Amino acid sequence: MAESIQRDFLDSAVLGRLMGLPLNSRHPMLGSISGRHRSPVKGSALEFAQYRKYVPGDDTRRLDWRTWGRTDRYYIKEFEADTNLRQCFIVDTSGSMGYEAAGTTRLDYARSIAGTLAYLTVHGGDAAGLYAGAKSDDGSVFQQELPPKRGGIHLGVLLDQIAQLKAGGETALIHAIHAAAEKIPQRAMIVIVSDLLFNLDPLQEAFDHLRFRKHDVVLFHVLDREEIDFTFDRPTRFLDLEGGPSLLADPSLIQRKYREAVTAYLAQVDRIVNHSVIDYHRAFLDEPYEQVLARFLMGRNPKTARSVR
Amino acid sequence: MSFLQPILLIGLPLALLPIIIHLINQHRHRTVQWAAMMFLLDAKKLTKGIARLRQILILSLRVLAVLFLLFAASRPLAGGWLALTGGKPDTVLILLDRSASMEQQILETGESKRSAATRKLSDLLEKTAGNSNLVLIDSATLEPTPISDPGALTELPQVAATATASNIPALLQRAVDYLETDESGRTDIWLASDLRQSDWETGSGKWQSLRSDLSTRETVRMFLLNYAGIQSENFSISVSNVKRRRSPEGMQLVMDLRISRQSAGDGDVQLPVEFTINGTRTVQEMTLTGPEMVRLGHVISLGQSDLNGWGRIDLPADGNPADNTAFLVFDEEPVRKTVIVSDDTVTAEAIAAAAGAAVESGVTYVVEIVPLDQLTRIPWEETALLFWHAPLPEEDSPLSALLRQHAEAGRTLVFLPPPDGIASDESATSLFGFQWNHWKESENQPLPIEWWRTESGLLANTQSGEPLPVGDLSFFRTRGFSGEFQPLLRSESDAALFAKITSETPGTVYALGTLPRTDHSSLAMEGIVFFIMIHRALEEGANAVATARFREAGPDALPASGIAYTLIDSAGDTASFSGQGFLPSALRVERSSGKDHLIAINRPVTEDDTRLVAPEALDALLEGVDFRQISDELDSGSSLAAEVWRAFLVAMALALLAEAILCLPPRTEQEEATPGFPKPQKTSAP
Repeated sequence: MAESIQRDFLDSAVLGRLMGLPLNSRHPMLGSISGRHRSPVKGSALEFAQYRKYVPGDDTRRLDWRTWGRTDRYYIKEFEADTNLRQCFIVDTSGSMGYEAAGTTRLDYARSIAGTLAYLTVHGGDAAGLYAGAKSDDGSVFQQELPPKRGGIHLGVLLDQIAQLKAGGETALIHAIHAAAEKIPQRAMIVIVSDLLFNLDPLQEAFDHLRFRKHDVVLFHVLDREEIDFTFDRPTRFLDLEGGPSLLADPSLIQRKYREAVTAYLAQVDRIVNHSVIDYHRAFLDEPYEQVLARFLMGRNPKTARSVR
Repeated sequence: MSFLQPILLIGLPLALLPIIIHLINQHRHRTVQWAAMMFLLDAKKLTKGIARLRQILILSLRVLAVLFLLFAASRPLAGGWLALTGGKPDTVLILLDRSASMEQQILETGESKRSAATRKLSDLLEKTAGNSNLVLIDSATLEPTPISDPGALTELPQVAATATASNIPALLQRAVDYLETDESGRTDIWLASDLRQSDWETGSGKWQSLRSDLSTRETVRMFLLNYAGIQSENFSISVSNVKRRRSPEGMQLVMDLRISRQSAGDGDVQLPVEFTINGTRTVQEMTLTGPEMVRLGHVISLGQSDLNGWGRIDLPADGNPADNTAFLVFDEEPVRKTVIVSDDTVTAEAIAAAAGAAVESGVTYVVEIVPLDQLTRIPWEETALLFWHAPLPEEDSPLSALLRQHAEAGRTLVFLPPPDGIASDESATSLFGFQWNHWKESENQPLPIEWWRTESGLLANTQSGEPLPVGDLSFFRTRGFSGEFQPLLRSESDAALFAKITSETPGTVYALGTLPRTDHSSLAMEGIVFFIMIHRALEEGANAVATARFREAGPDALPASGIAYTLIDSAGDTASFSGQGFLPSALRVERSSGKDHLIAINRPVTEDDTRLVAPEALDALLEGVDFRQISDELDSGSSLAAEVWRAFLVAMALALLAEAILCLPPRTEQEEATPGFPKPQKTSAP
């Protein structure tokens, strides 16, 4: 008998409250079915888009006979097409995601964000997939890989895979982003959940790769306030969660330089996300994930985006 | 450095507490799982040097704070000098200048330089000496006195006031001798003095050997407690040439008075000078218009019965009580008897002509020429001046002893170069550390004169300041001499022609390197200088044969032991007369046969000389000697051994303050207050 998988990262109350907030893409999507998201192709929806000349091969059913009557020329009448959304989660599962604060690990927090968003997406009739990555011993980039699909059964599988994510190993987010960019064939909303605690220099290129593929990129940057403020007051041995050498330090001696390094790091993050036009959301472990998601969803809604800004 | 509570220094290892606590803290670190290692590694790399330095500084300041606290609790003692003195010496030698000039005092407190020095040294030794061997050598007795209780130093008779002069080279020599005989280990020599030139005898040949003795002793350190400053206005009086004479007005006492002023003031001063003659007291107002007043031939009328007696002259109380009194005694003038031992008739008669000529009325001048083969005829007891124109007797011969006795008795002795025809080995004989060298003859020109001593000695200027016509003298045939002497006349070739031999006897010993013969010199022909020389020498010796004698205060001022005397009057407390001739006083020596003698003891006139040893000269005198000078003032109120625990507390507070400043967290800017919330630019919605 299969072992039951706990999905305690989902909170039905939170889901109920966020269900009312629609998830919109900032870019036109290329879906396989009709949906409520804009598509770059013209379709047969109600909203008129344009006229264009008939060329052989066009569907003669879409000829505008009235125009032919007036002008004696063949024109095709085009309408805006609405399609569905493909949402792909890239979750960082490196060792640093196992960092725990106040009983919650960073990976738990990432699970809550990804799981809740996936639930909302699938229930909105859109597709969701998962690419979870960290550098493993066998050299593979993805710990879990699930292409986006629609439907309740797929959602169940997706949530199970999210529940089974484990933090460990060195970070491989850059490779994961590049691999996902190559693997996801059509425009999609790429939701990245990571702590970005690695050398940020190649991150810009990775984001640009996603943007080149016309993806709508969302980044949830999960941090702990202690990592920013560094308020330790006595000598401490710091054990590297990603397996590096430990470090014994007197915080009072290095606090100033630590904070300077953090400030420079955050400034670099801001520079990268602004340059690549990434929808960036910084989340702290002591901040309810519902609040972070509400801010994200409201920022996506043209009616409420102004209040979020 | 010394401590009053050295036992507390056992706690010095407690100063390591901050380091131990630091190390314990390092080992009691907690361990956390950490993700943001990249920031830690960056921060650690950036703060490696400065942070370590800061940490070392903080730890050092904490250690210093504990050290200062322990030092303060141990009650350290220090002065400007004491901080440099190191540990306790095995022996502490206290050399005290007890000269009359050290009696200068502040009128408000009455504390003299001598008493201030002894009090401060006593205080210092009481606090710091510990088990050190303490020895006092004072300039008056030059005798080492062991001190068992440093606190009682001020009560010792060896530190009492005197009117003597000091011989600092002799004092230091005595200290060196003590160090040699006692084989003292590490020794501190404390010399308290007012740096008077006359006491320090900067021209003395002893300094060279002293320097060499002291500088070769690496375990000896010298501290010069210097009281050179003059604190308040002071007048000093001295009397000389006291003579009794008969005049148509009756019996009179004639004397030369000299009153000096030692202060910056130069206005006219009226001084009530008190004369006490044979108990009869009179006061005369005298006006001092400059720094010095000399009254030659000051006359005081005597009663018809006052054929002999004593007197004292007092000045009002001032900055130095030791120089306010001068004693005098008077009696019938002694016969000025000169004896010339010579076989050379020309020489003997030239001397006899000068010595026999009367200078003062009422004084008898007698000259006797004694051939070499009739030496037994010499009337030693009556002779004031003896010319020895003969070979020097053997060192341990009876004749040599008689010559010594002559000088010991205070009479004057003049050696003339022995005549020709003496065996060559004779020149090796020496007496009083002096011996004759070879004859020297100038071929054509007389030997030119380079220099003669004008301030003192037989060739000194006259009382009116006029120099003697010594330059007019010619020398054709001279005989050099060697030994320890003070030159009075020198030729161009730097050879001494006439000198005062350093005999260390009360009587003066002279050596004249030529003869009063026309083929030797023009001494007899240019008779003025020769005449004055002889009569000055005669006056020096006459005091020894007089029944009224003047002596300088010192260990030899009193009659020899076994001779009974009575104290007539003293400048100090007569009842507590110490039996030493250190204070101005008048004595009567009772003689079983003959007339009683009267003795007046006064301070040496050199004590009125206020010139000080210049700092450069002092450095030159003690060159190579490990010495430090501590200049003290009577009104300074400072102690040689001050407790300095307050300074250590202040140092501790400063160390803690500096530590607190270093421990302050870095100044945070407004933006840094919430570094976790830099606001990123929102991406614009499409």
